[in-house]
Amino acid sequence: MTPTPAQLAALLPLLIPALGACLLPIACLDSDQATVKWIRASMFFIALLALTGSFFHLTRLWATGAQPSFGALHMDRLAQFGGIFVVVAAAMAVLQLWDHLHQEGWVKGETLALLLFSVVGMMLFAATGNLLLLFLGLELLSLPLYALTAIVRMRATAMEGGMKYFITGAVASACFLMGAVLLYGATGSLDIAVIGSRLAQPGGLDPIVLAGAAMLLFGFLFKMSVVPFHQWTPDVYEAAPHPIAGFMSVATKGVAVLALMRVMAVGLPAVGVQMRSALAVLAVFSLVLGNLAALAQTSLKRMLAYSSISHAGYLLLGFVAATPAAYAGMLFYLVAYLAMNLGAFGMLSAFGLVGDKAGFDQLKGLGWKRPGLGIAISLCMFSLAGLPPLAGFYGKYMIFKELILQGHVGLAVVGVLASLVSVYYYMAVPVALFMEKPSTLQAREAEDRPAVLAPFAGATVLICGFLVLVLGLMPGTVMAGFARRAVQDTLTGNVP
Amino acid sequence: MITAWINTHLLSFIVFAPLLWGLALLPLSERQAPLAKLLGLLGSFGILVVAAIRLLHLPADPLGRIFAERFPWFTAVGIPVDYHLAVDGLNLWLVLLTAFLVPLTLLGTWNSITKRAGTAVALYLMLETGMLGALVAQDLLVFYLFWEAMLLPMYFLIGVWGGDERRYAATKFILFTLSGSLLWLVALLFLAGKAGSFAPGIMAQAVSNLPFTTQSTLFLAFALAFAIKVPLFPLHTWLPDAHTQAPTGGSVILAGVLLKLGSYGFLRFALPMFPDAALHFAHLLAWLSVAAIVYGALVAMVQTDIKKLVAYSSVSHMGFIMLGIASMTVLGTQGAMLQMLNHGISTGALFLLVGMLYDRAHTRRITDFGGVALKMPVFTAFFLIVTLSSIGLPLTNGFAGEFLILNGTYISGFHWGRPLACMATLGVLLSAVYMLWMVKRVFWGPANAGEDSGTAHLQDDLNGREVAVMLPIVALIFWMGVHPQTFLWQSEGQVGQMLSQLGAPPPVQGRGLALAREVKP
Repeated sequence: MTPTPAQLAALLPLLIPALGACLLPIACLDSDQATVKWIRASMFFIALLALTGSFFHLTRLWATGAQPSFGALHMDRLAQFGGIFVVVAAAMAVLQLWDHLHQEGWVKGETLALLLFSVVGMMLFAATGNLLLLFLGLELLSLPLYALTAIVRMRATAMEGGMKYFITGAVASACFLMGAVLLYGATGSLDIAVIGSRLAQPGGLDPIVLAGAAMLLFGFLFKMSVVPFHQWTPDVYEAAPHPIAGFMSVATKGVAVLALMRVMAVGLPAVGVQMRSALAVLAVFSLVLGNLAALAQTSLKRMLAYSSISHAGYLLLGFVAATPAAYAGMLFYLVAYLAMNLGAFGMLSAFGLVGDKAGFDQLKGLGWKRPGLGIAISLCMFSLAGLPPLAGFYGKYMIFKELILQGHVGLAVVGVLASLVSVYYYMAVPVALFMEKPSTLQAREAEDRPAVLAPFAGATVLICGFLVLVLGLMPGTVMAGFARRAVQDTLTGNVP
Repeated sequence: MITAWINTHLLSFIVFAPLLWGLALLPLSERQAPLAKLLGLLGSFGILVVAAIRLLHLPADPLGRIFAERFPWFTAVGIPVDYHLAVDGLNLWLVLLTAFLVPLTLLGTWNSITKRAGTAVALYLMLETGMLGALVAQDLLVFYLFWEAMLLPMYFLIGVWGGDERRYAATKFILFTLSGSLLWLVALLFLAGKAGSFAPGIMAQAVSNLPFTTQSTLFLAFALAFAIKVPLFPLHTWLPDAHTQAPTGGSVILAGVLLKLGSYGFLRFALPMFPDAALHFAHLLAWLSVAAIVYGALVAMVQTDIKKLVAYSSVSHMGFIMLGIASMTVLGTQGAMLQMLNHGISTGALFLLVGMLYDRAHTRRITDFGGVALKMPVFTAFFLIVTLSSIGLPLTNGFAGEFLILNGTYISGFHWGRPLACMATLGVLLSAVYMLWMVKRVFWGPANAGEDSGTAHLQDDLNGREVAVMLPIVALIFWMGVHPQTFLWQSEGQVGQMLSQLGAPPPVQGRGLALAREVKP
């Protein structure tokens, strides 16, 4: 069977990175990959090329307005949005990896191959309404990430983190599969559109559906690191290489949100009330626990991990509102989150903090040494804290707005109080960068070492800072041109 | 072409020129700091000149918006946001005060900042954009954005160039302010959802349809944000820390303009939008104001640090402003308008003077001084004038403002008008006590004979630059004291209109002096 051009168009965004991922191991077969610079360069080049190809294909689809599909794989607007989102995040991670892996002294091509496979899984996850394909996507995105967490294997903590992630992740995947099976048993279909219409019929709702929906939800919430499925997050982020942690926090969370959005709006509006009340409770827990735990961290990566838990809480608030405007607001939030969180994780590579040395005190005084980076990082931090007029503020603004319009004023108050708490620990980064002096010991060590040069990671941080500012100054453009259309063309009509 | 653009977009120019100028100064290196200072001074002075020349050409009707700019900006979640700036009677003088204080601060603290001076100048200019924008914004979301935009430059000014406890003070400052403004944001979004707009007028209509408990909750959310900024007792605890730790210039701007934005927020938004709730809570505001007046004065009295003393006197003076606003009489509100300017100038000047003293002596403890008058006669003269204006001596600006406020409170139709006016008068008395007692210990009497004492370090009197900073301030102090009408007539019509729409109880007749209705042609 030869696929038609439309089918091919739907498949290409996934095929290109997959092809790149298959080529990469060949490129790094040479045992000299650690010593020969051009081999390393070609590996990164292949990875970037694959991502760029996928990116251009997706943007062309978006520009022409085509929404091709191949079987249960629907490259609709929401999937295209998710694809572009993942590819951009992955490209930034690849750039940061170049610097970070060199700093660690552990440049391996398989890192990139795994990353690309994970990208394919994420795109699949965001582009289908079939529960079995969703599971396939979930596994394809998770398995490479388990390995990536432990990729710098001479570090003991890396193995530990990878193991933890794998075991907990396997349980979450099993729950997801069980939920899918229960839903299939109750409705006789794996397609969420069919499930949705079956459940909408009177008498379609029985306890098995509720149990199935709940177990399905476990899988999503685990990937989004929502309390109480969050315990893996700090350990795994700490174990993973910085760019991989950043990529996980942004892309995994992003596609989990997109897929959950699709499942909730299309497949499970019948149990929407129950889901929303459950999500409201979990959102409050995530906000409170994430922010309070982040206050007490001395390690930057653990702080960012808890902050990522709290951001999952804000995103869940959008599910509680569950209007098209709220969904569009969440997509905007994701774009903002991509910029600010990759900037935050990129900071670690850009300043050359390797191994377990990623504490606040490592940053002391660096802002004045590298003012451009310092300003960009501060912008990302202020945006994470939700200060206007930066991107993060508008993300929260749009979600809170819809929440209040839907009558959940109490939840909005919890949300703003949580973001007030978050100001304290995000501010600790600019404080360390600009307001504290390095200790004499640190200053002497810094003089002995050659200056850290991380051009690619530095460039991504600058780009992130710039994006945060631009998104904040022109929120309307992205909102109207990108987020709202993704929701309108895909979900409207299905939103309760 | 540029002048034509400025003519049509005057307010945008005044608001954003400092920001762009500041950004342009950022890349200058450490060695070019003097150049950055000079350029910053010239730039901010240019803004002052443009603002003064253009804004003082008033149209005949004092009720009309003098300059306004308005166009739709963006629509988020179905609610349009207008980029709407305007200058009218309520904010005209505050805009000019801001434009006046920034170059003065830059000149007055020319040598105070030794490290990374260029960056500091750039931050002052960015701060100016935030303040001016918040003052002229007429759309509530735009106001909110500018309001928050003031935080970060101030945060860095305190946190980088401040004293030993600067990080604590900076964090406290930002957390206090944000805790108010975030809850306010929720109220704002709630209202915007009801009204479908961020324009205060449309929102006020939506408010009148809400049940009273909702109105009160919303009013309290607005009031909390503004009261923290003022700061009203008992939300004032961030202020002494911020003032003591901030560099001189930061203190001047903080006291001079930032605090005013709280009371301005009450006048511009909180009262007109929630008339019923405002009337209901007026007594609470008034009581807290009187508490701030008396408490601030009492705490100021026992301070050992001159700067902290001035900071607490700020709490007391801002209490007067809030009392005038809460009295809801034309007299009291006009007094509050005047007192905002007074406080900006007098307290700003006090902080500048304390900074000049600190630059020489490297201490601010009162007991380290004594006999300063013999070593620095010119400085002493200026300090005395500003002190007297801060106390409220007749013929200085402080007298005119406090008199109007007390008179307005006394004649106000509220039953608490008389007793609270009497209690607030105590604050005037106490201000004389703490200020003059401090002056006595610092300037007169025997010098502290210790080798490391402050007085021992004093070598030179004020130089030409510092005298040049103080002269316009002294001129304004007397001008505002002798002829306050210059600064009041623009706002009179608007204040009267606002209060009549508010439905405040009319002043009790024959109980007080009427405001002289002399309007300049």
